[in-house]
Amino acid sequence: MTKHRLTRRTFLKATAAGATVAGFPLPLRAQPKTFKIGVIHPVTGALAEPGQACRLGAQMAADAINAAGGIKSKGGIKLELIVGDTQTKPENGRVEAERVVNRGTRMLMGSFDSGSTNAMASLAQQRRVPLLIDIAAADPITANVAKSVKEGQQKVQYVYRNFPTGSSFGRKAVQYFNEIFKEANASPKRVVLMYCNDLFGQNQARGFQAAHKAANPSWEIVEAIPWPEPPSDLSTEISKAKAAKPDVIAPITRPASALLLFPEIRKQRIEMMGIVGPGSPGLYEAGQLAALKEDLEYVLTSVPWANFKNPQTNAVAEEYRKRSGGKTFDTNSGYSYDGMFVIADILERAGSLEDPDAIVDAMKTTNFSAGLMQYGGPVVFNELGDNPNAIPTMIQILSQKPVAVWPKEAALQKFVFPRPKA
Amino acid sequence: MDLTLVLQGLLSGLLFGGVYSLMAVGLTLIFGVMRVVNFAHGDMMVWGMYLSYLLATRAGIDPYLSFVVCAAALFALGLLVQHGLVDRVIDAPHEMQILLMLGVALVLENLALVAFGPEPTRVRSPLGAATLWLGPVFVDIARLVTFVVAVLLTAALSLFLYRTDLGRTIRAAADNTYGALVVGIDVRRVYAVAFGVGAACVGAAGALVSSILPFQPPTGLSLSVTSFNIVIIGGMGSLLGALIGGLLVSVAESLGAVFLKPSLKELVSFSLLIVILLFRPAGLFGKRTS
Repeated sequence: MTKHRLTRRTFLKATAAGATVAGFPLPLRAQPKTFKIGVIHPVTGALAEPGQACRLGAQMAADAINAAGGIKSKGGIKLELIVGDTQTKPENGRVEAERVVNRGTRMLMGSFDSGSTNAMASLAQQRRVPLLIDIAAADPITANVAKSVKEGQQKVQYVYRNFPTGSSFGRKAVQYFNEIFKEANASPKRVVLMYCNDLFGQNQARGFQAAHKAANPSWEIVEAIPWPEPPSDLSTEISKAKAAKPDVIAPITRPASALLLFPEIRKQRIEMMGIVGPGSPGLYEAGQLAALKEDLEYVLTSVPWANFKNPQTNAVAEEYRKRSGGKTFDTNSGYSYDGMFVIADILERAGSLEDPDAIVDAMKTTNFSAGLMQYGGPVVFNELGDNPNAIPTMIQILSQKPVAVWPKEAALQKFVFPRPKA
Repeated sequence: MDLTLVLQGLLSGLLFGGVYSLMAVGLTLIFGVMRVVNFAHGDMMVWGMYLSYLLATRAGIDPYLSFVVCAAALFALGLLVQHGLVDRVIDAPHEMQILLMLGVALVLENLALVAFGPEPTRVRSPLGAATLWLGPVFVDIARLVTFVVAVLLTAALSLFLYRTDLGRTIRAAADNTYGALVVGIDVRRVYAVAFGVGAACVGAAGALVSSILPFQPPTGLSLSVTSFNIVIIGGMGSLLGALIGGLLVSVAESLGAVFLKPSLKELVSFSLLIVILLFRPAGLFGKRTS
């Protein structure tokens, strides 16, 4: 057996050689074998659970793309993910994006919460690195960039989103509420909106209230109750909701607040037709179902959901279950998975991978219909950079399992509303 | 304003205050004896919660019984932290101690993340869903039990400090370290016991609320902040202050949620802090230090 000993001389030689290679200007080096993509999510901190789901979804998609031969039109170049962690701190969206861009990433994807995504977007514009938002709902993230491009302050829009926006969540929720009430032949009058008071919750609540005002349906939002997130106690909030005599409670939660809210609703024995959420996490994740059990039964919520009528979705969901240690393929893992495939599709069509503007040109003409989520049509980007076909699905927890129940074309089962009396 | 709602708010707030009190008692004890601000307090509580979660899911022990085990485990952890870490910086400036305890907090939080994963969870206990209806107002049995245990534990702790020899030595070491050394008290041992007892309190608190409050690894920070708020309002180092402060903060938040937008309720408790600091800088029951 020969031993390689690292002496001072060999070390210096190796370092000098390395420095020479690294010092050469780009065109003289051989073409890189991978295309680096910065993938940033909150992998630690309060949003670690969804953040880790996003990261795994993106990684699984990249593995699948690479296994199928990489980006074929570009000589089979492979995707390499440079991952980042915002630690659930909004300002780190920018810090982490900067770090991965300095490591040579030429596209960005991220980052679950609107705060850090907004911070990422400003860096993407500054450094001219195309960003595909896989998850983040706040409207202004793309709208602000589109506005500054339109007004000529910036030349090119580098920020695009394949996820429903807060306002579209609101519109769809009001539409689904109306359709379900009508289909069920029920006419609830009093709806109490309850929401977590962070950027996400405020944005969702505002979107829902605005859409309600615009649609002017037969039901009223009689009270809106925000709570500080994360909450330490929600009993008074529920008492307040109860005092408003609701027919329906419409909650917008985070996973932690959902664990507090639903047992409390049951404990205080509110007589009502049901709980119908305008869209939020916390109601369908495997851990939540295990912890909340019957407290979640018959709860309806409008969320971005995977299209389980597609056999491929089921195959990926099964692989996801294995790789995540038993978790459900849901909104978070699903949209990050689709996001990576949208990026691969863009790279296939881009005129050049070296020029960010060529990538943006390909982004603008995207028409991708192989996604696993439930869409209202192919993935396209409108003048704001948003995908108008990214729509939520109404799901319901039936026998401890989340099931798509509305719209009809997505439904796997008929919904139960009003819920049976306990 | 709906009278039932106000009454319910008052009652829920008062009962939940028991949880706050128990959290704060441990912190105030450690500070009162050692003058060390335990920034890892909330994270120790989270470990108490996870221990009771483990005992409930693996061994089927209800958190209202397992809190004794959790207290014992956290006592050991407290002893270890004091003996191995805090002891070395006990004479160092305050900022050194704060940095050390922040470090311990980070380690505890991330160990919990590695061990239990990031999902929020809560322990299911039959008591957790039980209620008692008094007309239109209801009493949450879990909170009532927590409240009673919290008051009993605080009373027991104060008996321990005022009626036993070990308690007296702890108070002696707290009042005058040098004097205690002179009369032959092993101050380092006393400190270790005090830190252990403080940690045990918060361990018991964690177990007792594990069926009321959802928790995940980062929960510790907000628990620490709430505990500090209560201890400062009640008076640093005062057990009675921690008890009353806990009830006060909880009732203030609950009534804040009744009369204002619930998202503003923390404004009420922290405004209370500012008012108390302005008019009674040492807190409600704190001793003025020269």
